[in-house]
Amino acid sequence: MSVLPVLLLAVPLIGCLAVLGMRRAAVLVGVLTTGITFAIAVAIAFAVDYTRPGTHLVTDAPWIPPLGIRFHLGVDGVSVPLVVLTALLCFLSMIYVARREGTPERPHSFVSLVLLTEVGMLGTFTALDLLLFFVFFEVVLVPMYALIAGWGGAGRGPAARQFILYTLLGSGVLLVGLLVIYGHTSTLDMVELAGRDGAGMSRAVQVIAFVLVAGGLAVKVPMWPLHTWLPDAHSEAPTVGSVLLAGVLLKMGTYGLVRIAVPVLPEGALAVAPFLGAFGVIGIVYAALACLAQRDLKRLIAFSSVGHMGFVLLGIATLTPAGMNAALFANIAHGLITGLLFFLAGGMAERFGSTDMDRIGGGTLAVTPRLSVLLIIAAVASFGLPGLAGFWGEMLAMLAAFDPAAGLNRPLYLVFMVVAGLGALLTAAYFLVMLRRVVQGTSPRRQGVLDVTPVEYLAWAPLVVLVFVVGLWPGLVLVPTVDAVRFYLGGL
Amino acid sequence: MLALQPPPQAPIDAPQIEYSAILPVLILLGAACIGVLVEAFVSKASRWAAQVTLSLLAILGAGLAFVLYVTDSPERGLTTLYRTIAVDRPALFLWGTLLALGLGALLLIADRTVERGGAFVAQAGIRPGTVQDRAQMASGGMQTEVFPLTLFALSGMMIFCAANDLLTMFIALEVLSLPLYLMCGLARRRRLISQESAVKYFLLGAFASAFFLYGLALLYGYAGSVKLADIANAAAGSAASDTLLFGGFGLLVVGLMFKASVGPFHAWTPDVYQGSPTPITAFMAACTKVAAFGGILRVLTVGFESTSWEWRGVLWVVAVASMVIGAVLGLTQTDIKRMLAYSSIAHAGFLLVGALALRPEGLSGTLFYLLTYGFTTLAAFGAVSLVRDSNGEATHLSQWAGLAKRSPVLAWVFAFLLLAMAGIPLTSGFIGKFVVFSAGIQDGMAPLVVIALVASAVAAFFYLRVIVLMFFSDPAPDGPTVTVPGTFTTAAITLGVLVTLVLGLVPAFALDWAGTGTFAF
Amino acid sequence: MVGDVSVMAQSSGSDLGSYLPLVFLLALGAIFAGVSATLGALVGPKRYNRAKLEAYECGIEPSPQPVVGGGRVPVAYYLTAMLFILFDIEMVFLYPFAVSADALGVFGLVEIVLFIATVGFAYAYVWRRGGLDWN
Repeated sequence: MSVLPVLLLAVPLIGCLAVLGMRRAAVLVGVLTTGITFAIAVAIAFAVDYTRPGTHLVTDAPWIPPLGIRFHLGVDGVSVPLVVLTALLCFLSMIYVARREGTPERPHSFVSLVLLTEVGMLGTFTALDLLLFFVFFEVVLVPMYALIAGWGGAGRGPAARQFILYTLLGSGVLLVGLLVIYGHTSTLDMVELAGRDGAGMSRAVQVIAFVLVAGGLAVKVPMWPLHTWLPDAHSEAPTVGSVLLAGVLLKMGTYGLVRIAVPVLPEGALAVAPFLGAFGVIGIVYAALACLAQRDLKRLIAFSSVGHMGFVLLGIATLTPAGMNAALFANIAHGLITGLLFFLAGGMAERFGSTDMDRIGGGTLAVTPRLSVLLIIAAVASFGLPGLAGFWGEMLAMLAAFDPAAGLNRPLYLVFMVVAGLGALLTAAYFLVMLRRVVQGTSPRRQGVLDVTPVEYLAWAPLVVLVFVVGLWPGLVLVPTVDAVRFYLGGL
Repeated sequence: MLALQPPPQAPIDAPQIEYSAILPVLILLGAACIGVLVEAFVSKASRWAAQVTLSLLAILGAGLAFVLYVTDSPERGLTTLYRTIAVDRPALFLWGTLLALGLGALLLIADRTVERGGAFVAQAGIRPGTVQDRAQMASGGMQTEVFPLTLFALSGMMIFCAANDLLTMFIALEVLSLPLYLMCGLARRRRLISQESAVKYFLLGAFASAFFLYGLALLYGYAGSVKLADIANAAAGSAASDTLLFGGFGLLVVGLMFKASVGPFHAWTPDVYQGSPTPITAFMAACTKVAAFGGILRVLTVGFESTSWEWRGVLWVVAVASMVIGAVLGLTQTDIKRMLAYSSIAHAGFLLVGALALRPEGLSGTLFYLLTYGFTTLAAFGAVSLVRDSNGEATHLSQWAGLAKRSPVLAWVFAFLLLAMAGIPLTSGFIGKFVVFSAGIQDGMAPLVVIALVASAVAAFFYLRVIVLMFFSDPAPDGPTVTVPGTFTTAAITLGVLVTLVLGLVPAFALDWAGTGTFAF
Repeated sequence: MVGDVSVMAQSSGSDLGSYLPLVFLLALGAIFAGVSATLGALVGPKRYNRAKLEAYECGIEPSPQPVVGGGRVPVAYYLTAMLFILFDIEMVFLYPFAVSADALGVFGLVEIVLFIATVGFAYAYVWRRGGLDWN
């Protein structure tokens, strides 16, 4: 019984309930709560001894004994980076909301929903019981739906509808997959299941279960062709919603693949991985082409997420430790960079009244130099400039595809690698096109547009710093994950 | 010479009656009879108080008798009254559920603060739209016959889910149905739609009863007995024609599905739910569903398990139809009561998944689901009755826009209940769906479960739409107000919400209880 | 009745002989009908008035419908009919009890008293709430 993971969930939950009765103080309490949560997350990161196998800081108590559901929390190197990322992004989001001009309507509801989302996300990353994982996975959906539907842009209605329908269907399929696993193994303990390496399930069962579980998670990732909810949801959501959607929610899908699908169902993974890889690679190219055609900054960033998650999928699909590490690293990098990008897009929208690139009209470097420089940094990080965070994950994923796990078709993966490389080039192309249209050129009008404010710096600077730090010292993320992948996915 | 005097008969043994086991039902029936006498002999002014006291005492007394019996009831259950009534663990679970739900429904029915004088008409015989009708609408009286009728219906429901032979089941079916037909027509406002719903329910219900009776007759022809166990024995080892068996089973099931408002036998549900006085809708939606599925579970498990191979496919189709009809048509509804009606059709489909699993997990899962669904629905209809404008209840969805601004508490309560119906985790609805679907998976019905999950995602969407409407839309300028409910309605809604919450967080005790035993026969 | 016949079939031993009471009953019915019809025509007083010439001496005139009330049959008829059915059914249940009263013993007696009481409750309700008043 360790108190830290429980605190990690309890603090935002208490905050979520506490702010309901407040009006003006809500945002402040939100900042405080997420701040404490972030501190707990950092404490967890330091409390874990990554060289020791197994899960750490475990809390295990029966919850619903007749169904075998346990309140089983714990972390290891796979989850710690994501926990910290989640807590950080929530904290920064709250700071961003706390600006005088950033306070939304009905702040208490808004803060409460964000905190509830945080509980769900942190729970997803710390749950070690299949059903508990699912519960937290679902808990995220409703507040996020409400955030989009309540505080979104002009097209929020259809966007929120699409989001909830897709993700509810996805989690339905996921639940069936989890039930199939439970039906054949009679346990819901992820660690134990991962240790069994699929014992007790025939190959056919494993394939079915893997298709169901991965299919359900793929909606969240999102994997091409299940991604169509994403551009609308991301572009219509309020800035903080977009940041959390892109920064954390998508990772819940890939985390589930690494945590559940691959280790619990190894034979199923072996059979289905080429398809995952293929869809991932198609997603990379498709998203790049789609991005080239976008006129809206937020939609462009949204589509770019599909491409980045394609790299993550490719890494997972190799079924090698290198691929898993690449996937986990790319997860974190994408969370930092895309989170930053959506913040910046939100900043652009506030200043220029729109995220439409034509309406912004170019030349922002002259009007708001600091904001534009930040956008340039985020964009080049996103297309994977070496030395920045985006580089390592994608490079490692392609490297892993060069040498996939035994039993996989190597020539196929070489094709994947080549196509993914092509996609990476296209990614660079569309980000550069975007920069040229937004940042460069001459500004049509506007003097005296406010540049980055101090509070915005406070919210964005940590992400910028981390983009550099992680880019220059990838070991910060890789050290915990490498050992954890070795321990947890020992069967690979 | 002609022998006009029949020869003396051998004495007929009086049946063994376990009075302690059936005492709850006897109390309710007795109180209902006294309620009729109260109607006859107590003055009009004091009838309401007398009836409410009597009914509450009856339900509480029945509950006490029930608790006393449950604490030392035999593990395997028992049959009594010539084996026509089986008081076993599933029946006891359903009885407990029905008594608690009945108490909640009775509180809603008895409330006179939300609508002056209660939700029921002062004189049912007055023609709608006349001067007298407007006068009765404003008057403070109500037809207090509602209370004994409720008790009759409730006792019918209890017998229905404990009936061990089809004839008893049929009697119980009529005892529970006839009062409901009447009560549907007693709304104080919107008399025409209320009467229409009563007539529709009665005609279709009579039709369904005829189906049930015809099926019963065919099964009697097949097995030579109306006892479920005898039918099961006959089906297991009989050379008789299967036509009678499956013809009878089919007709019987039609009758049962009608009562449980399983699609495609649901046609009455939206109209009746919409037209009935809302407390009665709550009573119907919660209790009838419990009783009908109790009956379905018993018939399928005890009577027809050995032949399940033959009929299961058909019921798969029925379950799919029910889920799809409920979820898809629910999307298009603009009236909140109709929407909840379609949601109840979809839930009937989910329940059928558990009932079809025909294994202990399926039985306990379905029982648990009934418990959760009953309380959620009860509280939901209770909440619906509070949103009113000058014409009575404001049930059109557009009138619910921005309700959270007028009454945050009601909006949060209703949102929570809708989330429970949608099966979102940490509400009882999720655990209910989980146990039912996992039983389905364990029984190899994965395709059905996948369809069920798709349907529940679609259904979840229309629940969430209402939530968004309440919280994020601008209220209409002449929108409805939220009445502050009196003690009775507050108690009923609180009961429903608390159960929904508790069963979502710590459902273990209820699951344990639902899984303690199987049918006795 | 069927029970009686079968009982007698066993006692008399002859198949056709057991139907003799039925023939008697038939004959008795025919004789009664014939005698009362003839006797009425022969000895009854012959004072005709309007009511005597109507299709039914009691009940309502089937045609033409009365103008007032739009041709509705007064609801009181239905009430009476329902009450009739109620007591009719009570009789249906009382008869088999009476036949087997000895065999059923005290339990049967208690049951039938309860049954009559239950019908009595309904009767009291109808009576007190004016169901028996014609207008």
